[in-house]
Amino acid sequence: MSWLDDLSGELRARRVPRRVRHRILLELRDHTACEPGCEDRLGHPRELAVSFADELATSEARGSAFATFAALAVAAVVLVVSLIALGRFAHYPGYSNGISTLLFFPALLGMVVAPQVALVAGTLAAWRALRRRRVASLPADEIGLIHRRARVALAAGFATMAGLELYVVDFSQRLPAWWLGLVGGLAAVAGVGLFAAARTLVRARAIVSGAQGQAGDIYDDLPLLGWRWLRSRPWLLGALAALAVGVALGAFEAHAEHSVVEGIQRGMFEGLAAAVGFVVLGRAIGARPAPIPVESTALMPLLTAPPDRLVADGDRARAELLLREGYADGRLTLGDLDDRISAVHAARTVSELGAAVADIAPPS
Amino acid sequence: MKADTLNGQLDPLILATVAEEPAHGYAILQRLKERSSGAFDLAEGTIYPALHRLERDGLLSSSWSTDSGRRRRVYSITRAGTSSLEVRRHEWKQFARAIEAVMG
Repeated sequence: MSWLDDLSGELRARRVPRRVRHRILLELRDHTACEPGCEDRLGHPRELAVSFADELATSEARGSAFATFAALAVAAVVLVVSLIALGRFAHYPGYSNGISTLLFFPALLGMVVAPQVALVAGTLAAWRALRRRRVASLPADEIGLIHRRARVALAAGFATMAGLELYVVDFSQRLPAWWLGLVGGLAAVAGVGLFAAARTLVRARAIVSGAQGQAGDIYDDLPLLGWRWLRSRPWLLGALAALAVGVALGAFEAHAEHSVVEGIQRGMFEGLAAAVGFVVLGRAIGARPAPIPVESTALMPLLTAPPDRLVADGDRARAELLLREGYADGRLTLGDLDDRISAVHAARTVSELGAAVADIAPPS
Repeated sequence: MKADTLNGQLDPLILATVAEEPAHGYAILQRLKERSSGAFDLAEGTIYPALHRLERDGLLSSSWSTDSGRRRRVYSITRAGTSSLEVRRHEWKQFARAIEAVMG
């Protein structure tokens, strides 16, 4: 096996696309032909293949996130145009006047709930890609997070367009032909855009990246959510998000329909949908923090560090684990545990962290 | 000088080399070695991922040419690459001046 054969095998193992692989091998063949016997100086084939694969996987992940966002933007325009045209020129037909409520309710879910999921997941995917645009090689876990966000966003985008098409079918005997044709056509066009974005995502996901590092979560993406104490209470973040969505959309509905009752109904529905979405999709899109593999004993050396040294998220996670072990041992009450976890996640320095755990930490 | 020392500087060095004249990977490497009097002792393969990255970022463009019956990829700097190089040169001169002022 020659050096180039080894490189070819390594690139194939990392599923670098055939076209790229072919180009790399031609370039390296030319290089070795320029100076026969130079293979030792080119480096190990595996390391070179890893470098190519990691950088390509990073670039493709970013590209697929941006393509997803662009396709969703087109779908959003289609949805807004359809609803404006329906409200202003065609008039709402009433939910029970269609062919079947079995068509109406899935259509409603697609047109009301799915766009919100697409907005959140697509924005988070694109934002992470944009925020990390200068990094040549992202950790594999972070690439995976971008892919998951884009996948959820695309699925929700497809559900939105499918909802529109179902609505068209359900009211095909009630709504004017021009509206049916316009919306059916626009939704199909948006669907083609989503399909194209899905293809870029499939291509990006195929490449095997092995770069080490953490994926991060929503707290890394949104500095405004710097409430570290919320990191250990994902349910509370979900509840706050659901409340915010419910109040905002409920108020909008109450204002638009001049009806407090309808506003409350809409607000409850939207809030419940947001809560369900958070529970079902939160971890997939990094809105719920991923568990950090930790060992509490790794915290001990830190506690002897200078008291004003800043602590990292990993230190807080280790401290939290130590506290939970203390609770399991019966050394802390549930109330103590809760108070101390809050203090740990609010801690910025070693002294602040140490104050919360020093009396239960074993000697280092 | 090892690759670690060059951390973050390989891209502008490649851009500066290609800015003189379009070249293929091996020729770029030779120019880098010549102009640094052999100081840059990096694994030669590392230049290729960097070339591909710079092309993906729109700072280089490339095309195939044939020389002595061999196909080779020749890289040229783009307008965006030239602008980026100017920025990186300016930053480097500022950095070097600051280091010089401190180190003497």
